[in-house]
Amino acid sequence: MSERIRNVATVIVIAVMAIALVLLTSTQPADVDRVEQIGLRIKCPVCQGESIANSPSPMAEDMMDLVSERVAAGVSDQGIIDELLGSYTGAVLLDPPASGSTLALWLAPMVALALGVGVILWWQRHPGSDTHDPAPPVERSRTRLLTGGVVLILAFAGIVVVASNSLQDRPAEAAGAAALEGQDLSEVSNETMEAVVAANADNPEVNGMRLALAERYFEVGDYRSAFPHYLLVAEDPEATAGEAVTALVRLGWMAYDGNGEVETATRLVDEALAIDPRSTVALYVRARLRWCGAGETDQAIETFEGLLTDPGLDPETAAGIEADLELARDGGECP
Amino acid sequence: MTGRVLRWTGLAVVGATVILAVVLASRFGTDPGLVDSPLLGEPAPEFDLAGLDGSDGTALSELRGDVVVVNFFASWCLECREEHDDLVATSESFADRGVTFVQIGYQEAPAESLAYLAQAGMSAATLYLADPGSRTAIAYGVFGIPETFFIDPEGTVVGKIIGEADALILGATIDAIMAGERPGQRITGDTRQRPDP
Amino acid sequence: MLAFLGSAGVLAALIGAVLLVLRGIRLTRGGDADLKSPANLVLAGALVAMGAMQIALLSDDFALAYVANHHSVTTPFPFDVATAWAALEGSIVLWGLVLAFFTWVTVRRQGGPSDRLGAAAVAVMGGVAIFFFGLMITVANPFEVCVDALTVGCAGSSPWPFAAIDAPADGPGPNPLLQNHLLMAVHPPVLYIGYVGLTVPFAYAIGALALGTPGPEWLRRSHRSTLVAWSFLTLGIAFGGWWAYEVLSWGGYWAWDPVENASLMPWLAATAFIHSGLVQQRRGMLQAWNFVLVISAFALTILGTFLTRSGTINSVHSFTQSAIGPALLGFLVLVLVGSFTLFAMRSHLVASSPRIESFVSREGTFLVNNLLLTVYAFVVLIGTTYPLLLEAFTGTQVGVGEPFFNRLAVPLSFMLLLTMGFGPVTPWRGAAPGLLWRRLRAPALIALALGLLVALTVTRVGWAILAIVLGVFVIAAIVALLLELAINRTAKSQRSVLEEARTVVANDQAFWAGQVSHIGVVLVAIGIAFAANLPLHAEVEMSQGDSVDFAGFTLTYDAPFRRNEPNRVVEGVRVDVHRGGRLVSTLEPRANFYAGVTGGIVTPAVMTRPGGDLYLTLRNLDAETVELGLDTSPMIWLLWLGGLTTATGGFWSLSARRRERVVEQERVLADV
Repeated sequence: MSERIRNVATVIVIAVMAIALVLLTSTQPADVDRVEQIGLRIKCPVCQGESIANSPSPMAEDMMDLVSERVAAGVSDQGIIDELLGSYTGAVLLDPPASGSTLALWLAPMVALALGVGVILWWQRHPGSDTHDPAPPVERSRTRLLTGGVVLILAFAGIVVVASNSLQDRPAEAAGAAALEGQDLSEVSNETMEAVVAANADNPEVNGMRLALAERYFEVGDYRSAFPHYLLVAEDPEATAGEAVTALVRLGWMAYDGNGEVETATRLVDEALAIDPRSTVALYVRARLRWCGAGETDQAIETFEGLLTDPGLDPETAAGIEADLELARDGGECP
Repeated sequence: MTGRVLRWTGLAVVGATVILAVVLASRFGTDPGLVDSPLLGEPAPEFDLAGLDGSDGTALSELRGDVVVVNFFASWCLECREEHDDLVATSESFADRGVTFVQIGYQEAPAESLAYLAQAGMSAATLYLADPGSRTAIAYGVFGIPETFFIDPEGTVVGKIIGEADALILGATIDAIMAGERPGQRITGDTRQRPDP
Repeated sequence: MLAFLGSAGVLAALIGAVLLVLRGIRLTRGGDADLKSPANLVLAGALVAMGAMQIALLSDDFALAYVANHHSVTTPFPFDVATAWAALEGSIVLWGLVLAFFTWVTVRRQGGPSDRLGAAAVAVMGGVAIFFFGLMITVANPFEVCVDALTVGCAGSSPWPFAAIDAPADGPGPNPLLQNHLLMAVHPPVLYIGYVGLTVPFAYAIGALALGTPGPEWLRRSHRSTLVAWSFLTLGIAFGGWWAYEVLSWGGYWAWDPVENASLMPWLAATAFIHSGLVQQRRGMLQAWNFVLVISAFALTILGTFLTRSGTINSVHSFTQSAIGPALLGFLVLVLVGSFTLFAMRSHLVASSPRIESFVSREGTFLVNNLLLTVYAFVVLIGTTYPLLLEAFTGTQVGVGEPFFNRLAVPLSFMLLLTMGFGPVTPWRGAAPGLLWRRLRAPALIALALGLLVALTVTRVGWAILAIVLGVFVIAAIVALLLELAINRTAKSQRSVLEEARTVVANDQAFWAGQVSHIGVVLVAIGIAFAANLPLHAEVEMSQGDSVDFAGFTLTYDAPFRRNEPNRVVEGVRVDVHRGGRLVSTLEPRANFYAGVTGGIVTPAVMTRPGGDLYLTLRNLDAETVELGLDTSPMIWLLWLGGLTTATGGFWSLSARRRERVVEQERVLADV
């Protein structure tokens, strides 16, 4: 048999076999499991990069159940994907869509391939000259070497610094006790403060906030709400002296003003004075109790005068004391 | 000529490298796992779930008109345990102010969640619900726990806390919502994704 | 004590590295210097460091913070040895040791004051060593001592070896995933030899550029190291896949996980480099391209390390975020900026070279091969980094996973297979008309015939058939070529075909070793095609004594079990596997529970047979029933065999050198 006929025959046989193969392989049963196909495109949100179809985690199973349900209900592939995107955003997809922000990703490989082919063809058509340009002598100048080295070190350092800075900007840790210090509480509601002090009840640092909350109630005359907080602070062995004094004095005042219990009030204020004999507010309240409760006007006047000589007295309290002093001197009844 | 082309190619690579490096460097402080919730500003996904103890179901739509705080938790989640007291305290504190707390068990048998709650303490003002098949967790796009969602009285998701919350953050967020603001998403720390490492 | 020893070792290595750089530079400028002593110092320091770490691990010395945080008294041998590279700081010690060794070898090959290229290469390697040992002194210090112990593990540590030590009584042990299989001990060192080995051709390339003396020399001198690195890298990737398959219960050997990708990218670049390097050695072409390739390959190893260690991308492998990220990124930038600036400065020297006469030639096929491999590496690179870059630029978050990579990798792989069939049979310079047809028609016929046979008897899945057809095509073409050359020789000599075949192989061992690697790749392709497209899967729930039929086997749930081992508790079930009435095997899918770790690590049970593996995974076990995942992985052993074969080809080529040179003449005449 001549070479040519053999060749033609071989080509024909190859072609026939190839066609047969293509036909055989393309008529396989299309038992494409739609649920699995969709599942392969969705990332399990609680796993590291596995699809929900492949991941053994229970969450992945639950999500696959959801997908099954939707498929059975006749929802389209894209519909199911969109539903999940509505909850999870694009990071839940393993297969980036061929549009929008990920279009570049799809195009890039084709572009790279085309670029590569282009480069090869260009290179083929532009042979370099066989004569080298007289090479500029390899500069041995020290300065050049040093400058180059310095530039590189700076680039290295610069990157490291930028990166380290971003490491510092991490989101703050959960608040906890640290948040109780120095918080601007003017915006915070009473309920929030109630919750905070309740949740941090065993933390002595919460006393400051507790007192602030109690003050709010006190100022609007809500003694019932203020009472438990002042009591907790007064009974807390870890409370600071200042906190305890404030609490006791307030308790004393509320006992007098709210219930008329002069003896209880006096006892409480005396307790405060035992802690801090020079507490202005304690002395003031004590004096008022003497004046209003026990009728010891003279002693009260004496205390008032003594208090007014304190240079560190704030204007509001001073005004109050002055008003009381005047009234007492006039022999008036206690308001 | 080829030499020139090569030179410019080389320098182009240098330029691109520096730009990319700066970009990569700026990513350092961020957690690669975090996602912004697409639910913010959208109507909250409806749910109708039974209690952990099997009691009657509650639907989200029944709570319309209240500020609803939805927290996903499980007993195997350390951060959830840490924030538990704060959730209870805040729930009680806001109980009469038109705020309802809902805590939904995540990836855990209801009996186990219940046992944990019995020991850790429950708030009378909180609804403790079971989420069979994690449908609600999926609908809310939960990536890990604890995650807490805030829904305003009109039923829109206006806030989300990822990570452990405390009474101050919870209360402040509720205060803001009641003042008509939309606090948005806030990350306080790590979340846990499953009991196994 | 060990902390001091280890730190001293690192410091010594660092000093040695600095000396290597300084003296290497001096040598390039015409001076003279002793490079051997600093090289010895680097190697000795690295050995001392690793030795100190190993002694600390084997003697349960929890004074070292690294040991306190990653080792446990219950960790069995050899996992305690492997703990040295189970976590961040320790793995850098391993890297340093391998680098020290490669540097030492490079110094030994340096030929005295007249060898400026060798000296320059040594200086570059010393520079790289300075970086890695510098890391160990600063941000990733493996020899910090524990100064604040917890009951288990260490809460605070100090780099000063003589600080007041507060050592815990025990540590948590290595990550349980890393204790499940022996391959864990082996996979990282093998992989590191691959990564670090690529430093050598990089060093020679930079040396050649810096000295302004491009040409064949740098390529020739680094060729062996490139082959060593490539072979180990191949082996390392194969081991990684094998380990993932055996240990991680999803039954997958490759998941396009960022760290897996990080090992694939340098491999692709190195493979391209080996091929285009051959073109330069033979025909003097593609010089500039070779520089670009080798720089990229090395940069990709650093990028890979950066992505793994910096926490920038989530993956199964990631070591948690640490300060090492910025350092690695900075070094990567340094490498790329420095290398390409040097390249740009010397571009006029590397520019001119002959062009190929015809694309239908060995050079032409190598160009195609390089194009495909480069695009492949680019695809992997862009897929891995795109989510990161997109989020950094626009704040949008996307996921890029298996579907994306498979869509592109599969066609690229098949095109590479096809090229593998053509390449080896195409002569250099140009093929005489009809030569290719004559050489390839029989292989084509055989391939298609076998494909038809498989399609009619075994399976009709398109990808599997295509893999068979192309794979057989490649192998048949290789065999046909060997026969052709052998038969040509028998015409002149009187020996048998077999003897002549052996002579042919011996005359050009490097080439035939390469063909062995090609065959390995073919096996991998066929293995993947079958395992990925033809597996069976089922989820079953069985009570004790129940049986279920699956994939031709009958599986019977025999009994649950619970075993106490020194470092863990193992819970699982025994399943009897019957086929055709006979008991074939008893499998134990199980979960390992480690102290201090909630939840168990599920370990699948794998039964390997010629037709494929049977794979059982424990899903849930309670008093009454067990839930199992059942999988088959058809022909998956081909994958492991293929991986080993590919690496073997690389190793075999290393022994080829001398004889090849002697018979160079003969080969040129034969015009293979």
